Amino acid sequence: MTRNSPDPQPLLEMENVSVNFPVKGPYPFSKKRWIQAVTDVSLEVSEGETFGIVGESGCGKTTLANAMIGMVRPTAGTVRFQGVDLYALKPKAFKEARREMQMIFQNPFSSLNPRFSVYEIIREPLYIRGQASETVMKGEVRELLKLVGLDEDDMYRYPSDFSGGQRQRIAIARSIILNPRLLVCDEPVSALDVSVHAQILNLLMDIQKSRHLTYVFVSHNLAVVKNICQNMVVMYLGTIMESGSSDAIFANPLHPYTKALLSAVLDIDVTKPRDRILLEGDTPSPIDPPAGCRFWQRCPSAMKGCRTVPAELVEVEPDHQVACHLISGFSAQQVADGLHEPVSPKSGG
Amino acid sequence: MADTGLGVRNLKVVFPCPGGVIRAVEGIDLDIHRGECATLVGESGCGKSVSALAIMRLLNTPPAVCRVDKLWLDDLDLTHLPDRQMRRIRGKHMAMIFQDAMTALNPVMTVGKQIDEIYLRHSQLSRREARQRTIEALELVGIPEARSRANSYPHQLSGGMRQRVLIAMAFACVPKLIIADEPTTALDVTIQAQVLDVLKNMQLVHRVSALLITHDLSVVANMADTVYVMYAGKIVERAAMQELFLEPLHPYTHGLLASVPRISDERQPFVQIPGAVPHPMRKPAGCYFHPRCPRSNDLCRQRMPRLEGPDDGRAVRCWHPLRQPHEVRS
Repeated sequence: MTRNSPDPQPLLEMENVSVNFPVKGPYPFSKKRWIQAVTDVSLEVSEGETFGIVGESGCGKTTLANAMIGMVRPTAGTVRFQGVDLYALKPKAFKEARREMQMIFQNPFSSLNPRFSVYEIIREPLYIRGQASETVMKGEVRELLKLVGLDEDDMYRYPSDFSGGQRQRIAIARSIILNPRLLVCDEPVSALDVSVHAQILNLLMDIQKSRHLTYVFVSHNLAVVKNICQNMVVMYLGTIMESGSSDAIFANPLHPYTKALLSAVLDIDVTKPRDRILLEGDTPSPIDPPAGCRFWQRCPSAMKGCRTVPAELVEVEPDHQVACHLISGFSAQQVADGLHEPVSPKSGG
Repeated sequence: MADTGLGVRNLKVVFPCPGGVIRAVEGIDLDIHRGECATLVGESGCGKSVSALAIMRLLNTPPAVCRVDKLWLDDLDLTHLPDRQMRRIRGKHMAMIFQDAMTALNPVMTVGKQIDEIYLRHSQLSRREARQRTIEALELVGIPEARSRANSYPHQLSGGMRQRVLIAMAFACVPKLIIADEPTTALDVTIQAQVLDVLKNMQLVHRVSALLITHDLSVVANMADTVYVMYAGKIVERAAMQELFLEPLHPYTHGLLASVPRISDERQPFVQIPGAVPHPMRKPAGCYFHPRCPRSNDLCRQRMPRLEGPDDGRAVRCWHPLRQPHEVRS
């Protein structure tokens, strides 16, 4: 299959994926409890796009990203990569498939082995795959170093000789040496200095263009996501609150959480002060999350029904889905039961 | 200088190391008026936290070596104050809020007890009165059910709550100066907005001078009255907040502001500053920013410019600023 052939099916598909982690109970033999890190998430990433996953810490962004590339086996649901169910593959084929997906981690200070030279770090994936001679690997590494804006002579230096931005460049070189099709970037700039954010983001975008990569971009920085992603999902407590094309979502955010998130992002525009929606309280624990809408406890416009009836994702316009009762409304029976009456977010929490 | 809250003149901090000397802070001047919020902005390693610790006299000497020509807080001259007296001032007249509340709080003491300590140490209160004040302090920063929360240990609280506890602690004795070192960096955006709100309110209500240290320009835009931009141990620009954001004078400030992605932007490549912050032991000759600066020439490579501008207004340390500070209306 050639890289540029039009592909009718999405590169990556997740269907009703849930990931739960067991937690120890307070006493031995007490009932096992589960952290519901990701609950019933479905999404599609198409070839060549940048797909954003946005949310606060603990909302399951990273777990979702890990489930995508075969690092965490989902408790339920399927992940299809190039149309093949990833977790149904035999170990050998699974390994093959995983070569097509790579990851860039948040913190380049901990993701690079301090005892490996830059050459050893970057060639490691090739080395593990085998089939490449030392000369070939050297050539590849040399080329990649040039691509990510480092010097050829840097090959024999160690990570401690480099600044955060340069280390992230090394991590990027390592992640693309096997020519993957999908690159998952898990907060690739949030551990770096502000003045190098732009450098790394631009580098990622250039590489995407020259190598026809598909990116899944995990971030809490909405401004960055808006600028580089075509499609995105907004997550809260393991579920998708709003999804669609980023243009549609930023032009017309519908979910109260998306609105609050957008208004909480402090802008550096000092000329026009904006209305801020301040959310009350903290993100609840993903152990035994609230029934119904996960956001209702902090939602400024929560209704009685939000406490018990889970909100489904509904399409409001092409390429824009929202999971909120304010948008989808309640059925006539539910309205008759008074489920649409407003509830103050503080009471009954 | 009558209404000046904090004044610092020529503060220097160096760390002698085996391979040379790290000049972390190279002579900075700060003036924070009463009730004003000043921010010190810079990237990691530019010396902003070290400056704060030096002002609080919290640096271990040795290894650090601190020198300051003059340091005062209202009518208190702190320049040559012995450590013993300094201890009486810290917590009562000046207090600090640290970045990571989990490490700043004692994990084996309830938060209530930790705040009680401040009252017991600095004012003649009984334990019962101290606890009453503690609960009031916790209520002021918006902690629900403060009475029972006071009996919680730090790990039982969420990150935002912990940061509120630190703010309550810092404001416990209504100090003259609060230094907040990256108070919201460890928090999520929605919680960050809450905590900054609390901090701003407390500062305004008590008319406390504040020095806020951050690398996040959006925090500056929402909190500051005046801004000091630091680069590699030196202040490169000083301005009132609005002026700085509307018209940066130093190429570094200009680059930083341009490189921050904004929600209102159209999709396009990000503006970037080339290169990286110099290693503190290998700072370049001349202006420290010249290797990354688009406007640099021979003069910049040879000589460090001075921080120039009117005493109490805009100032910029650059041979070729975007505009001269006195040309800018103030």
